[in-house]
Amino acid sequence: MTPYFYKFPVLTLDSVSMEFNGEIILRDISAQVLDVCRPGMEQGQVVGFYGRSGLGKSVLCRIMAGLMTPSRGTVLVGQEQEAVAPGAVGFVQQQYPLFNHRTLHDNLLLAAARKYADAAEARRQTDSYLERFQLTAHRRKYPAHLSGGQRQRAAIAQQLLCSDHLILLDEPFSGLDIAMMDEVKKIILEVTTMDELNTVVIVSHDIQTTTALCDRLWLLGYERDASGQLLPGATISPEHQYNLAEMGLAWHENVEAEPEFVRFVEHLKEEIRQSA
Amino acid sequence: MKSLFLPNARPPRTTFLLMAGGQVLVLLLLWLWMPLRIFPSLGEVLRALADLITTQGLIPELWASMTTALQALGVATVLALLLSYLTALPFFRPLAYAASKMRYLTLTGLTFFMALLVSSGHEVKLSVLIFATTVYLVTGMTSVILTTTQQEMDHARTLGLGEWRSFWEVVVLGKLDEMLEVVRQNFAIIWTMITLVETLYQSEGGIGLLLYKQNRYLHLDGVLAIQLVILAAGAAQDYLFTLLRRVFFPYSELATAR
Repeated sequence: MTPYFYKFPVLTLDSVSMEFNGEIILRDISAQVLDVCRPGMEQGQVVGFYGRSGLGKSVLCRIMAGLMTPSRGTVLVGQEQEAVAPGAVGFVQQQYPLFNHRTLHDNLLLAAARKYADAAEARRQTDSYLERFQLTAHRRKYPAHLSGGQRQRAAIAQQLLCSDHLILLDEPFSGLDIAMMDEVKKIILEVTTMDELNTVVIVSHDIQTTTALCDRLWLLGYERDASGQLLPGATISPEHQYNLAEMGLAWHENVEAEPEFVRFVEHLKEEIRQSA
Repeated sequence: MKSLFLPNARPPRTTFLLMAGGQVLVLLLLWLWMPLRIFPSLGEVLRALADLITTQGLIPELWASMTTALQALGVATVLALLLSYLTALPFFRPLAYAASKMRYLTLTGLTFFMALLVSSGHEVKLSVLIFATTVYLVTGMTSVILTTTQQEMDHARTLGLGEWRSFWEVVVLGKLDEMLEVVRQNFAIIWTMITLVETLYQSEGGIGLLLYKQNRYLHLDGVLAIQLVILAAGAAQDYLFTLLRRVFFPYSELATAR
């Protein structure tokens, strides 16, 4: 097994609940992402929240991104574990929004200027990210001229340029073909190996791809009471929290082909079916 | 040719231009041999147009109306943008709502109040136009602002932009092209109003007054000639606005279905 150890928390969800007009959407969600260290290499974190469609994943995303205050509970981010605020967590939404009135370069520069007060440094960082995400050739294009893949890379680069290590991806594999999915996986792995503290949080309903990329996984679902009735509000049961590093399923190049991984995904699917 | 009758088809440019030219030609031919005696013939309208230009100063009158219209549009645009953007603050929302509803007010009643408020005829004319255009523009502009999605605002916020900066980036800068489109669409309203206002305040002349005189003496050929001039001026304005949009907001048409 790959040697690793944990240091401090980088993201904490403490008893997060959300209600809309008396309807419970999320109930007592607790999870903690720890900075994982692998000796001799820069290893960030990739963690996943899996949930079926309509379970409140987007609401959870907005809460984690500081865009929505939960009805109860707290979200703490960074080494200092401060309460989350808008801008503290990079958030790539499903449609990969960019400012349509700005060129790709200006979109990235605007984000860089938030983090780097020195204009020359902001420009240098922008150029560096354009290069790293293979977007230099498209720098003068407007978002409407970019392909889906280019747009996705641009949206991730924009969020990375101004966020402090934490980046949240809402359904990053939704509607992608195999080639595009591989490209997204490559980007995620590249992001997590860029900096020790970089943490990618994937919120998705694609169980196989999410599991293959993550070192920790949480399943969102409904619990039942003693009489077998479904309790309102999606939550994470203690038995639905998985440490894939501990299970020997993290950081493998072609983990999806391993029998152990296949068995685990089948187990997850069974768990999901039972919680429905 | 077949593509001209297929839904959402994109015929070649030359085919389309030929078709449009053909339609104009058919219209002109119909006009030339139209049996309706009440409607002036093409020759009569052209003769009336020449007469209006040479003896009645059509061009200076058009210019006078045009400058007044542009003046009113400029002030109304600034006012309407201000009122619409202020809807970001809940305190000003009732004001924008009320301004939007004032487009139902009648022009004649409005002119009376304006005459009490300002001194010269020009000022009355201008203030009526500004008021009426502003209320129409506010309606269009606030509806553009209301198309802002949660996703757009969230995107700006996640980049660490504050609420005002997010509003500036998403609503002000992000929708400036659509605001220009609202101005273009509502410019036509000024032309319908200016002709009426110029008849109420005749001291400064204008194309509206010229039209009124032609109407009064039942010079239908003259009426039609002036209407065609206004139509041409409007079409030129539309073209100019489209050009401005292309130059200043090149991204604007990229995502539009053609």
